[in-house]
Amino acid sequence: MDLPLVHDTDRTVMAAEAPPRLPGQARGVDADLRRHDAGGSPADARVQRAAGLWPGACLGLVIPLAGAVAWELAVRHGLASGRLMPPPSRLAQTAAVLARSGELQTHMLATMGRVGLGFAIGAAAGTALGMLNGASRMALRLLDPSVQALRAIPSIAWVPLFILWLGIFETSKLALIALGVFFPVYLGLLTAIQSVDRKLIEVGRVFGLSRIEIALLVTWPAVMPAWIAALRTGLGLGFMFVVAAELMGASEGLGYLLLDGEQMGRADEILVAMFVFAVLGKAADSVLVSAARPVLRWQDTHRLRL
Amino acid sequence: MSALVVRGLGKTYADGTEALRGVDVQVEGGEIVAILGGSGCGKTTLLRLIAGLDEPSAGEIAVDTVISAVFQEPRLLPWLTAAANIAFGGRRLNTAERQERTESLLRRIGLAGYGKRWPRELSGGQQQRVAIARALIGHPGVLLLDEPFSALDTFTRASLHDLLLDLWRDLQPAVLMVTHDIEEAVVLADRIVVMRPHPGRVQETLRVGLPRPRDRLAPEFDLIKRTALRAINRSLSPPPEMHRGGSGVSPWV
Repeated sequence: MDLPLVHDTDRTVMAAEAPPRLPGQARGVDADLRRHDAGGSPADARVQRAAGLWPGACLGLVIPLAGAVAWELAVRHGLASGRLMPPPSRLAQTAAVLARSGELQTHMLATMGRVGLGFAIGAAAGTALGMLNGASRMALRLLDPSVQALRAIPSIAWVPLFILWLGIFETSKLALIALGVFFPVYLGLLTAIQSVDRKLIEVGRVFGLSRIEIALLVTWPAVMPAWIAALRTGLGLGFMFVVAAELMGASEGLGYLLLDGEQMGRADEILVAMFVFAVLGKAADSVLVSAARPVLRWQDTHRLRL
Repeated sequence: MSALVVRGLGKTYADGTEALRGVDVQVEGGEIVAILGGSGCGKTTLLRLIAGLDEPSAGEIAVDTVISAVFQEPRLLPWLTAAANIAFGGRRLNTAERQERTESLLRRIGLAGYGKRWPRELSGGQQQRVAIARALIGHPGVLLLDEPFSALDTFTRASLHDLLLDLWRDLQPAVLMVTHDIEEAVVLADRIVVMRPHPGRVQETLRVGLPRPRDRLAPEFDLIKRTALRAINRSLSPPPEMHRGGSGVSPWV
């Protein structure tokens, strides 16, 4: 019988610390049994690792918090003016005022709506074309060179054309965001499909699966992790391009708040908008990751146990 | 009617390499045939052609029943649990039978209670056992084995030989296995087809007339091992005219 591959250091230590026994007692066997008994619970390892992560996560907060406190004190004691870099208390105040008037929510909703819709369009198109070109060599040869050529154009360079074609309102903004999301999703998915382990495809063929069945039961699950990663990259770019889109002319949205802050000379407004961007971006990414977690569980386990 | 008949099979790759020439092999239902030979003798190519993974350049393959295979590596689908991997091989069965057979195979391969594990949580030997169960769940008439035990340590390998024979007795599929391990061939096979390289073709066929279970320490076992080794040595030496391209049967049969 092969022993399960679990490195259960905890239990081994326990066994080693057991009180000394008389010579001749079957201690080795006992320790072996304990280790074997612990083999069935990958959850153990997961809990240990998670617990181990906590101090690390808190450690990351030390510098931002210390910096904030130091800046607050510096401004209060007159060591710095805080005009161009308002202290945290000012930022909190500004955020509260903006939130109370409902202005902040309006801007957030406008930005989230644009990113959400633009991301949906770009991700759907990138996924569809990635699947098509991954499935058909003919389609790949016909379409991929053009897509790659378009990808070489910096997405922001499309802005003037989009405004001419689609006007200065929502459509051109969505087009820019969707375009930014499209490329990483397309490229990530296509590359993943092309690099699926040939040996797994052969398993499908030996067991008599049709091409469609192989695509659904072998290729798709195999590319899932790379697809999720590509979506995350796309989402990040979506946030980048929503700023570009809103800076080029909008009456609401966090990008508008940035621009308004610049024109009014209000650094606090700019910083609040930037902070909200950080929170929204991180939250959107977390939603994506937790939505993907159930289907990536097989991989997750692997990573934690390596 | 043989479960598997291969006639005059040849394979020349696009780059001009001739991997196989005029290979004849026949396997009856309930028979285990081992293909033995050094590297470059086209053993794996032969199996890939029979499995339908490559197209032959010449000759024909007649298979009458469901084929399945165990590869050199387990090749489990990493996103499916051990149980789901076994069930994957039984997609033709109805749901109830598939579940029932998955459970019973998990027990038979000594992994009852391991059904919910991911492949990565299993050892190499355990993974290969799951792969064997996956290959057998769908009642195959022909089972192809491509050096399935070569990556395992000696003890694991011996236990998997026993497991394979145990499962084979139930279903009695025709088994065609490729190996470079002489002892493995003598332990498992009814007949041993020795191949010679460049291009791959059949050198000779040996019949292993030992009753199962086979005792690896018995003198007859050793005798057959030595005979097989001599055949291999002949296959690696420059070809004498009488053996060229032919499939002789060695004199001691």
